[in-house]
Amino acid sequence: MIKKAIFILFLGFLSVFSQNQSSKAPNFELENLSGEFVELKDFLGKGPILINFWATWCKPCMEELKIYNKIYEKYKSNNLQMFAISVDNEKSMSKVLPFVRSNNYKFQVLLDSENQTARDYYVQTVPHTFLINSKGEIVYSHSGFKKGDEIQIEEHIKKLLKMK
Amino acid sequence: MKKILLFVILLINTTFGQIIELPSGISLSNQLEFSYDNELQRQTLENWFNLDYSYENFKTGLRYEVFQPNDINPAINRGKVNYSDISFKYLEYEIGEKKSKINTIIGNYYTTFGRGLLLKIYEDRNVRVDNNLQGIKFEVNFNNFRLKAVSGMAENSKAERKDVLRGFDAEFRGIDKLNLGFSVVSNQPYFEEIKPTTLFSGRFAYKFDVFDIYTEYGIKKNSQLEENLNENYVGKAIYSNLNFYINDFSISTEFKYYDNFSLTSYDGTINYNTPPSLTTDYSYILLNRHPFSLNPNNEVGFQISTDYLVNDENKLTVNYGRTYSLEKDSFFKKISNSTTESELLLEDVFTKFENTSNSFGLIFGFGYKMEAITNTKSLTPVCEFKYFIDEVNTIKTVVEHQQSNVLSTDEKYFDDVLTLEWMNSPDFSLSFVGEMETREPEIDKIVRNFWGFIRFGYNLFDNSEISLLAGSRQAGNICIGGVCRYEPEFSGIELKYNVRLF
Repeated sequence: MIKKAIFILFLGFLSVFSQNQSSKAPNFELENLSGEFVELKDFLGKGPILINFWATWCKPCMEELKIYNKIYEKYKSNNLQMFAISVDNEKSMSKVLPFVRSNNYKFQVLLDSENQTARDYYVQTVPHTFLINSKGEIVYSHSGFKKGDEIQIEEHIKKLLKMK
Repeated sequence: MKKILLFVILLINTTFGQIIELPSGISLSNQLEFSYDNELQRQTLENWFNLDYSYENFKTGLRYEVFQPNDINPAINRGKVNYSDISFKYLEYEIGEKKSKINTIIGNYYTTFGRGLLLKIYEDRNVRVDNNLQGIKFEVNFNNFRLKAVSGMAENSKAERKDVLRGFDAEFRGIDKLNLGFSVVSNQPYFEEIKPTTLFSGRFAYKFDVFDIYTEYGIKKNSQLEENLNENYVGKAIYSNLNFYINDFSISTEFKYYDNFSLTSYDGTINYNTPPSLTTDYSYILLNRHPFSLNPNNEVGFQISTDYLVNDENKLTVNYGRTYSLEKDSFFKKISNSTTESELLLEDVFTKFENTSNSFGLIFGFGYKMEAITNTKSLTPVCEFKYFIDEVNTIKTVVEHQQSNVLSTDEKYFDDVLTLEWMNSPDFSLSFVGEMETREPEIDKIVRNFWGFIRFGYNLFDNSEISLLAGSRQAGNICIGGVCRYEPEFSGIELKYNVRLF
C-alpha cells in the first residue's frame, strides 16, 4: 500500500513539473563510422543540431533518413548539423556502415551500441528526433515517422536559423 | 478504478506539461502499458517511471517499476508477479575530459564488451530483456586506450541477485585505423564450492576506404569441466564480419562459430552474453512467425546481405543466411554426450524491391525460411503500397501471405494478413489489421480462423504518445535486433502511454 502511495506521489510530481521548453540536451560522446569519438558539446554554439535515433531494422527510420538527408543538404551551408545515432546492437551493427555508404548519406552517423545515449534521451522506440538550438537546449522532439513530419522539423529549423 | 485514476493523472500531466517548467538538471519519463483480455478476463498493468538528475559531471537517477500484475510468462515476469519497487538506481561521476577521463557508476548499470560475444548487459523493454548488474563500473579513457572494469550481480528468475559477475575490457585505438581489444568475464556462483566460469577473447577491427573487418576469438574456461573432459578449455567462439561498399552497392558478410560459449548464472536463468545471431529482423508480421533463437552453445553459420541503390527511387535488398548445429567432436556435443552429426538449423532468404516516388511508395518482398526447431518451411510474399494523398496524409496497405509446411507431418497451412492504415502527420494514425489462418486437418475439411484489431495512435504535443488497440490478435513474435518475444493470442483492449520531460 505504501509503495502504491509512493508511486501515485511520483505521478503527482510528474504532473506538477513538466516540459521545459529550454531544457538542456544530455551530452554524449559516441563513435562515428570512421572510428573517431564525437562529443555533442564540441558542436554547440555553431547552429541548430538535428539528432535522429534510428536502426537498420526499422522501416520508418529508412524513410525518415532519406528525407533528413535532403533537409541536411539544403541547410548545411546555414550551419545545420545532424547526427543520426544508430541504436543497432551487436546483431545488426555490422549493417550500419554498408547501409549508410550505399545510400550516400552525408550527415554524421554515430553508434550507440550500448544504448546509453538513447536511455539518456528516454528513447523507447525508433525513429525518434530531437532538435537542439545552438545553446544546447531541446526545442523540439518527435517520436515515430509519418510522411509530413518533416514539414514541422523544417519549420523549426528555419526558425532557429532565423529564415522565412 | 485505480488504473483509470492513474491514466487520468498522466493525461493531466501532459496537459500541464506545456505550461510548467522542470527544475534545471531534472528529467523524467513514464511508460505505461495496460491490457485487458476479454477471453481470459485478465488485466495486466506495467509501468516504468524514470527520474534522473544531472549537475555538471555528476548524475543520479532511479527507475520505479510497477507490475500489477505482470505478464504470466515466467521468462518475462522474472519473479516480479505482483511488484512495485525501485528496481534501478545509480550514482555516476566523471572526472577529466575526452582524451583522459574516468567515469564511475555505483548502483545499477548496463554495458557491452565488443559485440557482445563475452558480455552484453542491456535492457530492451519491447522484448522484456533486462539483465542489469548491480555493483560498480569503471571506464577509463587515456589517450588511445579505453578500459572498462565491472563487478556486479544480475537478477535471476526469482528476482534475486546471487552470483557475482566480474569483467575487464581493454581497447587500443592507436595504429592508423586498427583497433585491438581484449576482454575477460567471469561468473562466480553463489555457492563457493562451485568453480567459476571464465570467458576470454581477443578482437581486432580495421577500416579501409572500401571495406572494413571485425574479428573476435574467444575461449571458455571452467576447471571442473576441463578436468572431466581432459581439455585446456571447454568452449570456443569466433565471430567475423567483413563489409564492402562500392558506390551505391554494399555487401556485408558475417561468420559465426559458437561452441559451448554461453555465459549464464549458475541457475541458468541469466544470460550475460548474446553474440551476434546473424539473423534478419523483419518489420512484417508474417515474416516473424517462425523466428530463430540464438543458441551460443551450438551454432555455426554465415549471413550475406547486399543493398543496391539503383537510383534515387529504386532500391534492391537481398539477404541469405544459413546456420548449422556443430559436429560431434565439438565441446558442446562432448559435454552433452551427443553423437549427432551437424545439421541445418536455419536457412533464410529474403529479397526486397522498393520504389518510392513523390506520390506513392511500393515494396515487393519475398521470404523463404527453413527452421529446424519448429520443423517448418515457409514461403512469404509481401506487398506494401503507400499513397501520399497530400503533404501530411498517407494511406498504407500491406498484404502478406504465408504458406507453411510442417516437415514432420507434411501438414500445410496458410496465413493472410491485411493491414490498412491512415497516417495524418504529425498527430495520429489509425489502422486495421486483419488475419486469416487456413488449415486442412483432414482431407476436404477446411478450418479458418480470423483475428482483427483496430489501433489508434496519437502524439500529444512533442513529448508524449498514446495508443489504443481493440480487438483480437493472433499469437506471434515481436523481434527487435534479433531478440524475439513471444506474444500469446490476445482478445481485448490495450493501452500504451509514454511521456518524456526534460
